[in-house]
Amino acid sequence: MSLSRFLVKRSLQGLFVIWGVITVVFGLRFISPGDPANVLLPPDVDPEVRAEVIAELGLNEPLYVQYWDFISGIPLGDLGFSLVTRTPVAARVLAKLPATLELAIAATIVAIVIAIPLGVISATRRHQPADYGATVFSLVGISTPNFWLGVMLIIVLAVQFDLFPTSQRPIGVDGIVLLFVSGSLGEAVDGLTTWLWHITLPAITLGTYFTALITRLTRSGMLDQLGQTYVRASRAKGLPETLVRYKHALRNTLIPVITVIGLQLGTLIGGAVITEAVFAWPGLGTLIINSINARDWPVLQGSLIVVAVGFVLVNILVDALYAYVNPQVAYD
Amino acid sequence: MADPILKIRDLSTSFFTEEGKVNAVDSVTFDVEDGEIFGIVGESGSGKSVTALSVIDLIDSPGRVTGGEVWYRNADLAEEFRGSRPEAVDGDFVDVRRLPKGVRRSLRGPSFSMIFQDAMSSFNPSITVGEQIAEAVEVQRRARANPRRTRSRTQGYGLGSAILDTFLPNRDYVSNESMDRAVELLDQVGIPDPEDRAEEYPHQFSGGMLQRAMIAQALAGEPDILVADEPTTALDVTIQAQILNLLRDLQEQEGMSILMITHNLGVIARMCDRVGVMYAGEIVERGPLGDIFENPVHPYTQGLLGSVPDIDDPSDRLEPITGNVPSLLESEMPDACYFADRCPKAMTDCMTRIPEYDLDGRHSVRCVLAEREYDEADALEQEVMADD
Amino acid sequence: MISERTLRNLRRELRRSLLAKIGIAVVVFILLMAVFAPFISPYSPGKQNLDEARLPPLGFSTAETKEVTKMENGSVVIEGGEVVTEERTVYTNATAAHPLGTDGNGRDILSRVIYGARTSILVGIFGTSLAALIGVLVGLTAGYYRGRVDDVLMRSADIMLAFPSLVLAIALVGVWGQAQAPIPDPFVVTGLAPAFRSALGFTTGMPDTVVLPGTVIVVVALVNWVWFARVARGEALSIREEEYVKAARALGASDGWTVLRHVLPNAITPILVLATIQVAAIILLESALSFLGFSGADVSWGFDIALGRQYQSTAWWISTIPGLAIVITVVGLNLVGDWLRDALDPGIEGEGGV
Ligand SMILES: Nc1ncnc2c1ncn2[C@@H]1O[C@H](COP(=O)(O)OP(=O)(O)O)[C@@H](O)[C@H]1O
Ligand code: SF4
Ligand SMILES: [Mg+2]
Repeated sequence: MSLSRFLVKRSLQGLFVIWGVITVVFGLRFISPGDPANVLLPPDVDPEVRAEVIAELGLNEPLYVQYWDFISGIPLGDLGFSLVTRTPVAARVLAKLPATLELAIAATIVAIVIAIPLGVISATRRHQPADYGATVFSLVGISTPNFWLGVMLIIVLAVQFDLFPTSQRPIGVDGIVLLFVSGSLGEAVDGLTTWLWHITLPAITLGTYFTALITRLTRSGMLDQLGQTYVRASRAKGLPETLVRYKHALRNTLIPVITVIGLQLGTLIGGAVITEAVFAWPGLGTLIINSINARDWPVLQGSLIVVAVGFVLVNILVDALYAYVNPQVAYD
Repeated sequence: MADPILKIRDLSTSFFTEEGKVNAVDSVTFDVEDGEIFGIVGESGSGKSVTALSVIDLIDSPGRVTGGEVWYRNADLAEEFRGSRPEAVDGDFVDVRRLPKGVRRSLRGPSFSMIFQDAMSSFNPSITVGEQIAEAVEVQRRARANPRRTRSRTQGYGLGSAILDTFLPNRDYVSNESMDRAVELLDQVGIPDPEDRAEEYPHQFSGGMLQRAMIAQALAGEPDILVADEPTTALDVTIQAQILNLLRDLQEQEGMSILMITHNLGVIARMCDRVGVMYAGEIVERGPLGDIFENPVHPYTQGLLGSVPDIDDPSDRLEPITGNVPSLLESEMPDACYFADRCPKAMTDCMTRIPEYDLDGRHSVRCVLAEREYDEADALEQEVMADD
Repeated sequence: MISERTLRNLRRELRRSLLAKIGIAVVVFILLMAVFAPFISPYSPGKQNLDEARLPPLGFSTAETKEVTKMENGSVVIEGGEVVTEERTVYTNATAAHPLGTDGNGRDILSRVIYGARTSILVGIFGTSLAALIGVLVGLTAGYYRGRVDDVLMRSADIMLAFPSLVLAIALVGVWGQAQAPIPDPFVVTGLAPAFRSALGFTTGMPDTVVLPGTVIVVVALVNWVWFARVARGEALSIREEEYVKAARALGASDGWTVLRHVLPNAITPILVLATIQVAAIILLESALSFLGFSGADVSWGFDIALGRQYQSTAWWISTIPGLAIVITVVGLNLVGDWLRDALDPGIEGEGGV
């Protein structure tokens, strides 16, 4: 199968999953004990007013109409209205998205930049102190709940040593870009420093699990590759060890590592939700938690859809990347 | 008679495993002469591959070459190190094991090269065959351009270069000239449409074609000595014959020597000038092909020849004598001839370590029968082992 | 089910690996702690004593100089219209009565860690069992029948996988509410633990129920069954091609019987390995839900970490100690998982942490 046909097939599958996701999210409302009108109205409200509100929300329509209203708006970016603020959900989700993306990307970069060299060092210095250190680190790293790690970082680095702020995001990348474009270079640089200063602890908090996981994968993958005959053959033909390790063994190690990173992006988003809660980071996670506490179901549903659809799309991208870097893949 | 290009003396290699020390190669001695094919034959597990890897210095942990010398004839190297490392030089010969690490590494390619049994696993699955061959050409091109750097720890190719090559699209280790040369090499080993095939990945090749490509890769550095470890074992019979012919032709064209490792006596008979028979990490008998085949002294060799497999017989498993090759664990090796428990002619004399006896300057054997006749009165009680 | 050879591999790998021994020791320790909590816990986990709030753990007594209002005979001293202050050294002394210190309400942290183990283990074991039940059922059905059934089941698994598990869990618990079932603690109800405690002169009054966080158990299972389904399906797909399974079917064995008798036993090894890793993952998930206040549990490691946050600048140990308990437990489980994986080599992956 060719790459393009593979991508078409994979996209159709993705579309199906997205449909499923939307349907599941739609169904979420029905497992809730109370009905949405209660969120808006005091319990002792006049039944007529109550009926009016229910009609306004469309809750007295037949189920299939409600379903159609729900699903048909989504391709156009209509995720409904917040019960609490009466503003469009899509706008609120969109406003929170950059903060979460920044955090997730920063954590991924931290993870990759640390983990891959660490895994390689660990594999090439097997049974030496560096290897034991990396092994212990990755074991503890995948076993540590990141919210606790965040609290520990705050207690030690923010409270005791006052090196970092405990929370918040006074400026985002979008703000920095804006400053930069508007020509205030000095302020943009200041903004960037502030941003880095504020994102460091959240990024470490969110990134540690992935650093540990990727270290582990890289180490075992490298050990596996370095034991392959082609590595021996590369040495036999006189290639420099650097070339053998990095052009040959490491690249083949990274091919499966990429897939696992893709699969783990869901965990990354989940981790972001809770990291945001620890650091009062105003992203999607905070939005989700607030919407649950306020019983603002449309906001919760909209956020879930955005997260899940994003995850599906990223996975398709990862598969395409995998197919591209690995000529052997059978695309099935 | 031609001079040796390679003199192996008392080479020993052990693996330090959890179960204990495994003496996979035990004081192995042999010569490879200029332009000859020297064969090593023996059952699976007798230490042939480890011998081959020890010669070209590719033993990985937990293994280590524990002793012995690898004398390689190279007048330039001998001249270079005569002053600084006199112990590593003897006439025109250098002892590769005593040369600095960088120099040893730089010999792989232009001096020694190796081909393996399974071509599919010997190529990196995610890089085109052409590029992999071109890499082997490129190393030599860079070495000629800058011999000093090539002997450094990184061979002039450090982490920085690796990173830049990975991330900058216009940078690549392999040059265009090397790619062209790779295509020539593919042509030379008889691959049709070499230009197109060079662009293909290993999994797009058939087994025989990939074996040819691996030979092309090994020839890229124009080696003096080609180590071929079971080069045809994974192939079916007609392809086997083609590959053997190819090796023979190339050996004559290039004037190189081949160290041919196989468990198949048919291959030995067809290819080799001289041969060593390996058992339990030792070379038990060695000499010119004719002597070994017509006048074998060691009971193991006799047993092997009693069941010479037909090269055309696909089931060429070699099981000449009942019993197994011992485990080679040092703690379990007897203080006797290693073959004694399977030998039909074992005698009380055999219950000590057996030295190598020289029969006529060319033929030598590690067996008491070299000195005395078999005498039934001295025979050892043999428990016939029924285990499999 | 578990063959002689499997046991031999397990033993050999155990002998070889120090880490595996550590893992087993840790897991056994935590299990014992959870089971025998009413015997060994120094206090009831809910017992407050505001006079003893925020005592540090042993070895962390502090002395700090503070400026306080000067008091004389119980009243503030005022001189020249100003409140007089004085320097005083304030000691916060650790006491052997609370070796791990106390929290903001003066509850004993050690007791809360011991009782918190119960919540984690209950959710870990019941959640994993339920997830395994659902997942194995779905996976075996999909792999055994293949075709359309397989497609439908596995596509629904894909849909589940599209939700990050923590996000889905939060949403489900958040929407669903936090049903919990108090079940009587057998040791306390039978009088065994109280008798033991009064005999040894321990404080009595241990809680007589264990709170089973029902919604959380169901939710973690709903979120994590997919991993079991994938493994079970893979096993079923390959085992159904085996000759003896074909033979059994040819002889007219019913599908249910064939699956139970032939397919399931062969799939048990990888499922066990996965279950070990999943207990760790589910414990992490539970702690995250508790941390966010969504689980409803009031004795839970994750919840206690959240409680300690308001004291993060004055009493670090309140958040730190329960977190260490989580890390130790999960490291132990992961080590056991690694041991099983190395010994049995089932070739599986499963989602990890939070
Ligand atoms: N990586 C290794 N670790 C431990 N022992 C090894 C290793 N490689 C080879 N050996 C030992 O060396 C012996 C000889 O192996 P090998 O040279 O591959 O045999 P052959 O090529 O003759 O079949 C084996 O029986 C084995 O015990
Ligand atoms: S030395 Fe003895 S036992 Fe060994 S091969 Fe010769 S005859 Fe047989
Ligand atoms: Mg071999």
